Amino acid sequence: MKTGALFSLSSCPRFYYLLSSEITRRLDKSTIYESEEWKCESSGFLSRSEITHDEHPLSLGKSSIWNQFFQDSEIMEQIDRDVKRTHPDMHFFSGDSSFAKSNQEALKNILIVFAKLNPGIRYVQGMNEILAPLYYVFKSDPDEEFSVSAEADTFFCFVELLSGFRDNFCQQLDNSVVGIRSTITRLSQLLKEHDEELWRHLEVTTKVNPQFYAFRWITLLLTQEFNFADSLHIWDTLLSDPDGPQETLLRVCCAMLILIRRRLLAGDFTSNLKLLQNYPPTNISHLLYVANKLRTLG
Amino acid sequence: MPSRRRTLLKVIILGDSGVGKTSLMNQYVNKKFSNQYKATIGADFLTKEVQFEDRLFTLQIWDTAGQERFQSLGVAFYRGADCCVLVYDVNSMKSFDNLNNWREEFLIQASPSDPDNFPFVVLGNKIDVDGGNSRVVSEKKARAWCASKGNIPYFETSAKEGINVEEAFQCIAKNALKSGEEEEIYLPDTIDVGNSSQPRSSGCEC
Repeated sequence: MKTGALFSLSSCPRFYYLLSSEITRRLDKSTIYESEEWKCESSGFLSRSEITHDEHPLSLGKSSIWNQFFQDSEIMEQIDRDVKRTHPDMHFFSGDSSFAKSNQEALKNILIVFAKLNPGIRYVQGMNEILAPLYYVFKSDPDEEFSVSAEADTFFCFVELLSGFRDNFCQQLDNSVVGIRSTITRLSQLLKEHDEELWRHLEVTTKVNPQFYAFRWITLLLTQEFNFADSLHIWDTLLSDPDGPQETLLRVCCAMLILIRRRLLAGDFTSNLKLLQNYPPTNISHLLYVANKLRTLG
Repeated sequence: MPSRRRTLLKVIILGDSGVGKTSLMNQYVNKKFSNQYKATIGADFLTKEVQFEDRLFTLQIWDTAGQERFQSLGVAFYRGADCCVLVYDVNSMKSFDNLNNWREEFLIQASPSDPDNFPFVVLGNKIDVDGGNSRVVSEKKARAWCASKGNIPYFETSAKEGINVEEAFQCIAKNALKSGEEEEIYLPDTIDVGNSSQPRSSGCEC
């Protein structure tokens, strides 16, 4: 896909500085400016009272540009912290090489722009994990003409992908019919439909609330449950299935439970939760085969 | 040995993102430190067997995500907790200032029967960083806050160097036990035969 021209990200790392200079510029118009240059001007000092209350750095007003500035710095710190923790075992994303550093920069740019464009969601931990496979694939394109636009292409696809999953990240929707809780409930119902014995053992007998494991499975689209190559394999199916990624994801999650049903049925709360939070290495083709079967049954 | 009562004690670890909650838990349970932890999404679950006054307990530790977004999901994790561990980074004033929010949020969501006496333990982590030169929260300040909240036990730790981690968790287990004793004890009614490779004793793993 070639979408490089769609959205220019070249100025994104400058958001931080743009914002701070914007503050200075706006304050300059109406407020005191106690620099030496000012003192040289014959006009003298302006009185402090001319700082509008809203734009005082200590203003608690939500509309204050400083409030916005502090919020933005907080998000950027969080993004920075998480990008550094993205696939720390892969040289592509981690380490001191200039290649890893430039890839980290790209991830940061995309997440910051997304957060600015989506003030209702901003940045939520885990978005970095969804972004990483997309960027990896575009950046690794053997055709340099394409790989050079990896950042822009990834941004476009990230927005596309999140358009179907963004509700999972939105705290305000947690208790709505489209939020993460109801998505987890749908997984639970799917399991009950296909394997009631397992469902009963997990949720009634051993009281493993599906939220304890499926929250991560679903919000991260299984990127933390398998190794990177296996995640890409699963994603190929998630993104190509005509039923759409969300439905396909739920079927794969349900298949994951069914594949280890024997161990789960023999387990108690502790061993089951540990097993589900540390899913054992699996033959992915077989997993996807079982997941696909659930469609024909359902 | 078979007559020993096994009891579950539930411990929740809370604190801002990046203060070292996952590292502390892994240092305590696995005696390992890694720079390679990913951000925690939702909550991670670990257990450790502890022996205390001749009785054997299973400490059930919930390591939670630090970002505010995950707080509304906390109720499922917080419920039934016997002790809550509040972690901050001694090199970050904001993470210390937020302890109060974490404490209040926990009390609201977990709604323990006796909130005034619910056991918390505070850990000031990352004391190893930069030989202590980048520290911004003094021990005195931290202890003053703990004292003002009903004498919360306080430990200064380094998950990286393994400093004070064992001591802190002993205190956590002790306090969880105190609060857990007053409530009904949950005993799983299935016996886990699949995990028999793990010895039931809690001897040291050196």
